[in-house]
Amino acid sequence: MKKRLLIVEDERNLCLLYREELTKAGYKVTAVADADTALEQIKKQDFDLIVTDIRMPAKNGIELITQIMALRKDIPIIINTAYQSYKHDFMTWAADAYVVKSASLDELKSKIKELIG
Amino acid sequence: MIERYNLFLHEFSQEASKELQLFSIIAQSFFQPFSLLDNLLVIMTALTAGPGLGFNRAMLFLTEGDSLKGEFWLGPTSAAEAESIWRVLSTPGIGYPEIIEHNRSLLTSETDTLTKRVKKLSYLLYREQSLIPALTASARQMILVRDARNEPGVDRRFVETIGADEFLCIPLVSQKEVLGEIILDNAITKLPIRIRDLELASICGLFAGNYIYTAKLQKRIVDMKKVAAMGEMAMFVTHQLRNPLVMIGGFADQLLDPQIGEKKKKRNIQIIRSEIRRLEKILLRLSQFFRIDVREKVAVDVQDMLNLVQESVRARIAGRRITLDMEIEAGLRVILCDPTHVGEAIRNVLDNAVDAVGDEGRIDLRAYRENAEWAVIAVEDTGKGIPGAVKDKIFDSFVSTKERGMGLGLAYVKRVVDACGGRIEVKSAEGKGTTFKLYFQTQPRERRTRP
Repeated sequence: MKKRLLIVEDERNLCLLYREELTKAGYKVTAVADADTALEQIKKQDFDLIVTDIRMPAKNGIELITQIMALRKDIPIIINTAYQSYKHDFMTWAADAYVVKSASLDELKSKIKELIG
Repeated sequence: MIERYNLFLHEFSQEASKELQLFSIIAQSFFQPFSLLDNLLVIMTALTAGPGLGFNRAMLFLTEGDSLKGEFWLGPTSAAEAESIWRVLSTPGIGYPEIIEHNRSLLTSETDTLTKRVKKLSYLLYREQSLIPALTASARQMILVRDARNEPGVDRRFVETIGADEFLCIPLVSQKEVLGEIILDNAITKLPIRIRDLELASICGLFAGNYIYTAKLQKRIVDMKKVAAMGEMAMFVTHQLRNPLVMIGGFADQLLDPQIGEKKKKRNIQIIRSEIRRLEKILLRLSQFFRIDVREKVAVDVQDMLNLVQESVRARIAGRRITLDMEIEAGLRVILCDPTHVGEAIRNVLDNAVDAVGDEGRIDLRAYRENAEWAVIAVEDTGKGIPGAVKDKIFDSFVSTKERGMGLGLAYVKRVVDACGGRIEVKSAEGKGTTFKLYFQTQPRERRTRP
C-alpha cells in the first residue's frame, strides 16, 4: 500500500509542485495550506509522515508540531523551511528531519525515503 | 526650611577653587549629547585653563591597535595668545557650550601647524625598549620628564616636535586596555611642573580614559545592532528568494521529463515566469528601500500628487465593493517634500488600506492643514485593523503579516517621511479600521508659493 504524506505549505504553487513530485515518487499525498487544516486532517485520518513549512500565516509550523505531539500521534515530521536558523529553536528538534528548501527536491525525497521507505 | 539649587551650577562662589569650577564643567559635560572629541577637548581645556593652574599646552595621542598615534594639540602658540585665551576662560559664568565653541575654533584655525606635525607622530606600543612617550602607555604610568634633551629614554623626534624640555605624560586607560595618552607642558610660561599639577592631571586622565572607553563601547553597540539588523534582513530576504527558487527549480525539472504533456508544459512555464517576476519585484523593492535619499525638499502640489496616487490605487480596487474618496482642503496647496518618494509612500499606505478592507469597505484619502506650519495627509480605512501583536513593530523593516510581504512597505513610508522632516501617527482598532496620518511641513498661508 502507498504511504500517505501530509504536506503543509502556504504557498499554493509550491503545494502543487510537492504534490505532483511526491505522487510521482510513489506516495499518496494530501497537501494543505495552513496548520489548522493540517490538524483537522491528522485527526480524521492516519498519515505515515508530515512535511511542514514553519513560517505560515496564522499558526506557524512549530506550533503545529507542538499540537501534533499533544495529540500523541507518533508520526515522523520533516521540517521544510527556507530558514537555516530555526534549527536553533529547540522545538524543531522534536521533528525527525530538517530540510532547507532548495531548487532541487532530491534531499527532501531522500529524507522521506529514509524515514518511511 | 529648605533651599533648592540647580544641579548644573553656572556661577560659583568666591571661595570655590578654580579646580572645583573646572571639575564641575567636566562633570556637566557628561550630561551633554555625547561627542568624544568635544568631551576630550573639555578635559584638555581644564588641564590648560590658566597661568595659575595646570599646564600651558596639552597634546592627545590615541591608540589604534598596537600603535600610539598623535591626534592634536590644544594650547596657545605664544604668550600673547595665551593671555587672551586665559582671559576668556576666566570670565565668570563661562560653561560647557562656550568652552566647546572656543575649542572648536582653535582646532580649525589655519595657524595650527603644530597639530600637523603631531599627527605625523606614531609609536609602536609594548616594545621591550619603549621610548617616551610610548613608554607611558605601555607601562600605564604617569611619567614626568625634566631636561628632556639630555634624557636618553625620550624619543628625539618627539622633543623636537614639541620644543619643550619638561613635560608630563599621562596614560589614558580603561580596566583592560590602554586607550591613549595626554602630554602636558608649560612651554609658554616655562614654569616648573608641580606635584599639585600632577594630581590634577591624574584625575583628568582618568576622566579622559573613561570618555574614550564609553565612546568605544557605544560604537561597538551600534555596530552590533547593525550586524543584528543585517542578519535579520538576510534571513528575511533568504526566505523571500527561496520559495520562488524552489518553484522555478522544481517546475523546470518537470519540463525536462520527456513524458510531460503540452498543457502541463505551458502551466509550468507560466509558473516559472511569474516566479521570476516575483524575484524581480523583490529586488526592486529592496533597492528602492535602500536608496531613499531625499536631498532637497520642494514645494509639491498636493492635488497633483494625490491624483496620480489615487489613480493607480483605483485600478487595483476595480471590481471590488470598495469606496475610495479623496478630499483636499481648499486652503492647502503645497507641502514640502520629495514628490517621487512621498507619492510612493502614500501609495504604500493606500495599498495596505486596500489589503485591510478586503472585498468591501471604505477608504478615505484626505489632505488638510493642521496649523500654519503643518499639513496632514490622512488615509482612513474600515478594514480589519492592525493586530495587537504587531502594533509596535509595523514600522520595523522585514516584519510582515502578509504571506508574500517583504515587510518593507511601512518601513519605507517611515524612512521617507523622516527624511522629509515629517512624522507619522497611527490609530487602529481591530475589526474597525486604521487611520494613518502623515505630517509634512507646508508653507504659511500668507506666503505665495512658486507658480
